[in-house]
Amino acid sequence: MARTTSGSARLLRWVGNGLLVVLLVWTLLPFYWMIATSLKADREIYGFEATLYPHRPTLAAYGRLFATTPFMKYVRNSTIIAVGNTLLSLAFGCLGAYALARLRFPGRSLIARGLVVTYLVPPALLFIPLFAVMSTLRLIDTHQGLILAYLSFSVPFSTWLLMGYFRSVPLELEEAALVDGCSRLGSLVRIILPMSLPALAVVTFFSFTQSWNEFLYANVFVNSVEVRTITTGLSLFVVEDVFFWGPMMGASVLSTLPPLVMYLIFQRWVVKGLTLGAVKG
Amino acid sequence: MTITPTDNSRVAISAGPRRAYGEDVLVQAPAIGRRRRSTRARHESYLAWSLLTPTLLVILFLVAYPFFSAISLSLQDKMVGAPGRFVGIDNYLSLFRDEVFLRTAWNGVVYTAVAVGLKFVLGLTMALILDQPRRFNNVFRTLLFVPWAVPVVIVALNWRWIFDDLSGFLNNFLITFHITSDIISWLADPRLAMACVIAVVVWSGTPFYSMTFLAGLQAIPKELYEAAEIDGASTLQQFFFVTIPRLKTIFLTTVMLSTIWTATNLQFVLILTRGGPASRTEIFPHLAYTTALGARRLGMGAAISLVFFPLLVVLIVLLTRRMLRPADE
Repeated sequence: MARTTSGSARLLRWVGNGLLVVLLVWTLLPFYWMIATSLKADREIYGFEATLYPHRPTLAAYGRLFATTPFMKYVRNSTIIAVGNTLLSLAFGCLGAYALARLRFPGRSLIARGLVVTYLVPPALLFIPLFAVMSTLRLIDTHQGLILAYLSFSVPFSTWLLMGYFRSVPLELEEAALVDGCSRLGSLVRIILPMSLPALAVVTFFSFTQSWNEFLYANVFVNSVEVRTITTGLSLFVVEDVFFWGPMMGASVLSTLPPLVMYLIFQRWVVKGLTLGAVKG
Repeated sequence: MTITPTDNSRVAISAGPRRAYGEDVLVQAPAIGRRRRSTRARHESYLAWSLLTPTLLVILFLVAYPFFSAISLSLQDKMVGAPGRFVGIDNYLSLFRDEVFLRTAWNGVVYTAVAVGLKFVLGLTMALILDQPRRFNNVFRTLLFVPWAVPVVIVALNWRWIFDDLSGFLNNFLITFHITSDIISWLADPRLAMACVIAVVVWSGTPFYSMTFLAGLQAIPKELYEAAEIDGASTLQQFFFVTIPRLKTIFLTTVMLSTIWTATNLQFVLILTRGGPASRTEIFPHLAYTTALGARRLGMGAAISLVFFPLLVVLIVLLTRRMLRPADE
């Protein structure tokens, strides 16, 4: 911002600091309440004795979460699906992006356009017919079904993002490799990918967190507790009309951790990837 | 999106007007003649299509086919597990005679416009604050962006608990500090429910705006401000004549993307209010969801989700053009 030494600049700085505090409170308060609730005993959670902070912090809610709910099963399912989806998105994305960035063929710009359109078509439009597709293919209540369904948003995004990145890798490097007798795929693996690590990080982050966080498809395509993911499993805690807020907030804390940790690790690249990729938020 | 010139140009993916590899090679080898050239081109073409096969399969079977089958479903009176009968545009016609649907349409406009507007204002404020020089700004930025990494379902559940009548944080807080003595039914009060839903949507969606805006702010060359200052522009003038024009493209792209995602996201409503009280917070994706899966009327559900598609198409077409435009144009 402007570098005036006048009074107005100082005023602006203090207004900024004040607003920063307000925004921090607004942003962090829900996290506080989530963590505080997960550390309370039921007595402090409900009714007239409800407290604003845990007077006697306890991990009992977490104990109950593991002992009485299929939470660990949900964690396992979410992990299988998110990891499976990430690996496939990376593979499909790299191959497709290389073709779009470096090879010349009729229909190239049409496909690039198709990718972006695909990425922008919202799941709310597709879940009803996709449900029919999944039923026909007998993929309801399977991990494969959800992995497949998530590819519908992660592959277009990864391909599009990597395409932009691959194009920025200097042509000369690849030309040299090709002259030296390297094959196209060889140059993809040896030249382009090592130079595209930030973009690969972004793709990994987004494929993983989007699969981990997804709710609509997981809710529609899965009924069995054996395949149910965290997001739908948690929402069922409520729908079943029994509000175990303690264990539920415990589960919320735990299932926020994977995407949060990934965000903290990858944030430098992710924030940049987001500003060019503009990812679902 | 064309925001890219950031401080680290390696990460700023510039899809510049550079030619694909093959073209350059071809230009260098004119003497070899037509036949070699076409074999080469054909080979490259084969390779390209085989590399793109998985991606194309995904697009065709998981997006294109479902999309067209949604259109065909919306023209039938299909129920789950029963064959459908073609009814033409009857589903659509009956929607426009349905009071719940009309209310839903209006709700959707209010919900989307207010939520996007608030996210924009809050996001820009956040970005401007984070762009001020300050110690520990990295920490503040990380903290303020955290809601973006939290699964939406968990956001919604957590806020539902904050809004809880008897033991939630809000009522608990207001009563403890004697701000009110009555319990407020945040999500069940017809006058408050929509505002509460929007507050949650804004909480969860603001960081996306701040991130893109902040990247845009940091890409504005400092010389521009210095020049403006020499010309005697006040801070406010600099904001309106330097900052805002420079961010215009980012504003547009962010708002359009967010409009699509906000308008079509049903998770907040599903978990917070289920469309209630008395359809006050009903929006079309949630109505489509309950119609198709609750009432098992797939045809009608598909029609509901497609009614607004023409509006989305406008956004999608504009965005596609932007997102494919070379970054350094």
